[in-house]
Amino acid sequence: MCPHPPRPAVNSTSPIPVSVEFDHSWFEDLETRLNKGGPWDDWKLFNLAAQAETASLVTSFDEMLCLQHLQNVTPLPHQTETARKVLFEMRGRAILADEVGLGKTIEAGMILKEYFLRGLVRKVLILVPASLVLQWVRELNQKFGIPAVAQKKEYSWQNDIVVASMDTAKRNPHKDILINGEYDMVIVDEAHKLKNKKTTNYQFMLQLRKKYCLLLTATPVQNDLGELFNLINLLKPGQLGGSNDFSANFVVDKRIPKNEGQLKGELAKVMIRNRRGDGELDFTKRIVRNVHVELSDEEKKLYDGVTSFVRDQYQAAGGNLSSMLSLITLQREVCSSRDAVFVTLVNLSKKLPLDSPLRERIWGLVDIIKTIQTNSKAEKTMEIIQGMNEKVIIFTEYRATQEYLMKYFRDRNMTAVPYRGGMNRGKKDWMMDLFRGRTQVMIATEAGGEGINLQFCHQMINFDLPWNPMRVEQRIGRIHRLGQEHDVMIYNLSTQGTIEEHILNLLHEKINMFEMVIGQLDVILERFEKKESLEKSIYKILLESQDDQEIASRVDSLGRSIHSIKNELDNEELSVTDNGSDFKQLLGG
Amino acid sequence: MTMTTEQIQKFVMTYLETTECQIIEKSPSHVTVKLSPQADRDLTNRPYYWGFIERTGAEPETMSFSFIFDPERHQADLDRQTKAESERTSRIAAEGEASNPIETPVNAQPQEDSILGRYFGVVRPLPILGPGRIQREELTYGSPRLKQIFAAAQRSGRCVYLFEDPGQKQRMTLLPAAYEPWLGVCFKVELSCDVKREELHFYGISLLNGKVDEDFNSQLLDKNWMPRVPENIHIEPSRLSLADGRDVLESKLRTKVESYDHSWAEEASERLQDELTLIESYYRDLLEQPDEEQNKAIQEQFESRQGEIRWQYQPRIVVSTVNYGIFHLRSPW
Repeated sequence: MCPHPPRPAVNSTSPIPVSVEFDHSWFEDLETRLNKGGPWDDWKLFNLAAQAETASLVTSFDEMLCLQHLQNVTPLPHQTETARKVLFEMRGRAILADEVGLGKTIEAGMILKEYFLRGLVRKVLILVPASLVLQWVRELNQKFGIPAVAQKKEYSWQNDIVVASMDTAKRNPHKDILINGEYDMVIVDEAHKLKNKKTTNYQFMLQLRKKYCLLLTATPVQNDLGELFNLINLLKPGQLGGSNDFSANFVVDKRIPKNEGQLKGELAKVMIRNRRGDGELDFTKRIVRNVHVELSDEEKKLYDGVTSFVRDQYQAAGGNLSSMLSLITLQREVCSSRDAVFVTLVNLSKKLPLDSPLRERIWGLVDIIKTIQTNSKAEKTMEIIQGMNEKVIIFTEYRATQEYLMKYFRDRNMTAVPYRGGMNRGKKDWMMDLFRGRTQVMIATEAGGEGINLQFCHQMINFDLPWNPMRVEQRIGRIHRLGQEHDVMIYNLSTQGTIEEHILNLLHEKINMFEMVIGQLDVILERFEKKESLEKSIYKILLESQDDQEIASRVDSLGRSIHSIKNELDNEELSVTDNGSDFKQLLGG
Repeated sequence: MTMTTEQIQKFVMTYLETTECQIIEKSPSHVTVKLSPQADRDLTNRPYYWGFIERTGAEPETMSFSFIFDPERHQADLDRQTKAESERTSRIAAEGEASNPIETPVNAQPQEDSILGRYFGVVRPLPILGPGRIQREELTYGSPRLKQIFAAAQRSGRCVYLFEDPGQKQRMTLLPAAYEPWLGVCFKVELSCDVKREELHFYGISLLNGKVDEDFNSQLLDKNWMPRVPENIHIEPSRLSLADGRDVLESKLRTKVESYDHSWAEEASERLQDELTLIESYYRDLLEQPDEEQNKAIQEQFESRQGEIRWQYQPRIVVSTVNYGIFHLRSPW
């Protein structure tokens, strides 16, 4: 393979518009063998070699070879179509901007495989967030038979196909190695991190020498059309004109495009965006049931005890939020199970000096825990499961709760499989297989990360709720994804008269996140969290409020401000729709 | 291009036989084989093991494989066998016969190794490690193992020096015969820009009279070949040097390639030009910065981007060879 073409031919006598180069190394080999009298190869192998070459010959410029080479994955029609477009229309430089969950990785894998088979690509660099490195390596190897390796040490760069985290790659000594090399193909996942051209990420990408380039992002525009302009300039500077032309021709306000028709046309040359609701990509519905659980007297007592303990400590610390994390954890755990609180309480007391008066108070709480005989939430969960008689996944935030539930179910003759982030890959796969084949229930503490694809299950129970809406979305995403054929049932357990009620109220009633368009949530959160993260806002409310009433009203106002962001976004869409086209559709190409 | 299941099977069987692997069991859907040392080196990727064998002179233990050509059919075969097996054993148990329950499956070859024989055709209860282990692998088009076998064939089938087998008749006759030396080369033509297309051309030239055959392969395929000169036949001295032969073949091929429709290259050059114009207009604005330092950085970026575009689109044709050799064809007389 010839990595670079020869310098432009000055030879004007050539009758054709392209240079023809002969590789003569074979002739030297033949002469050497003749002089030495051998060694000579076998005729049958000679013949096989020619057959093998014929079988792997690339006979046409524009036929997809990769399809017949894929063994462990069957691409969906929109994925094949996307790959074809990128290969033969966009010439290998494109932004893949499908909405979350439509398989951008599959598309990128197909494109890479095709170039690889055609011998047009040998050196490949794949930059992804650190948490996704191993997932990419695994998918490329298993699904596409592409021998990718994860970057571990400096010498890893010598491999032909390397997957590395952007944060590592842009730092020295790695950075120098990379910008001095050249790559037949560069793929960047989560490419919206390149939207700001002043960042080191962006400057690094500008310096990388690359032939083909794929940028993957679900949110090509989060705030500002300029972001899109920057992304495109990494691929094809000039496609949207210079930066002045761009603002003059295409931008009314930073979020409102003009000349949509033309902009759309230009965008379609570098970007593909498949969206849910286009043709077969319709997702099933999400049905939400909130289940209110009445706490037993002992449980209520524990909850009140912990709450006042937490509030007192916060006031004693002078409203300093950073030292309060373990206390907040306590407050959250008490909504989950007594086991979860117990572990944290014991750890807390261990850290205190022996004569601290707090110890007494903590052990007082532990005493209350000891009096609790029932777990109202677990009973309710059992009731729900027995009522549905279908596969169901239960999510909790806490390891202790997970173990308690495992035991609780086992005592009642129901087997459940556990799933947590700390398990190694093999064990995770095994647990998934067990859940698929043998058991009705899986109890998981981890929703993010990779590989839990549970399309065969369409019931889930949120035993407790994370206070970060993205984590809730990740949980739902495990079962509500492409390939899910049923409507998805989501049960949210919330204990009455606790903070949990307010959180659920916020997430469900105020933000309506359970039924929101997928992908919309991150945009809203990003705008909201410019001021402060949502989780932190909730902490503050919780710690600073004097009583339930105040919590309720402050959660209410939090909900309102999120709601207004949502309205703002909807209005932006509307305002563009008034002009005859929809901004979202614009991105749809 | 691709290969059908039958073609793959034929290909792999030829490879295994040529490298002298020991076929243990064979059915239309699979083959179980103990590799020869050569094939083991080619396929199992254990250079340290072979280095150890070479240094110590120990007897090598090669690996065994079950290659499945047609997974579905093979599974059906297996299911049938297991069923027959279990029916048979239950019948035997019912009759109270104390016979050996282990027997080779219906369509298997007689076994030399009774321990190996125990495992064929039934699902193994535990993975076997060590020499008796047989790795099961599906050989379909696109599988890494098949690619490896392709590569092995390409590596060890590069260059030959052969004589046409004159057959029985020549050995019986006293009439002398002569060999005409030919240079045969299988060229691979790669036409690429941002996409790519390939062709194979097997050309041969007689070093005796300079005659060129553009479909040399078809002359070769229906003959038998041997590595040494048989008795009673002499080789006619070449009148063309090898280099002459090469030059003739290359100029023939060049003429042929040049006669193609090269609109693909023109289109690629156009794309190249378009892209260059596009970035030029983009960078021209940027380059009007007053700041010298900044200008320099932008200039660099501009040039590197131009380089990338040439690299991506510049059309080119590269001719390499798949394999080649000297073939002695019996002169017609």
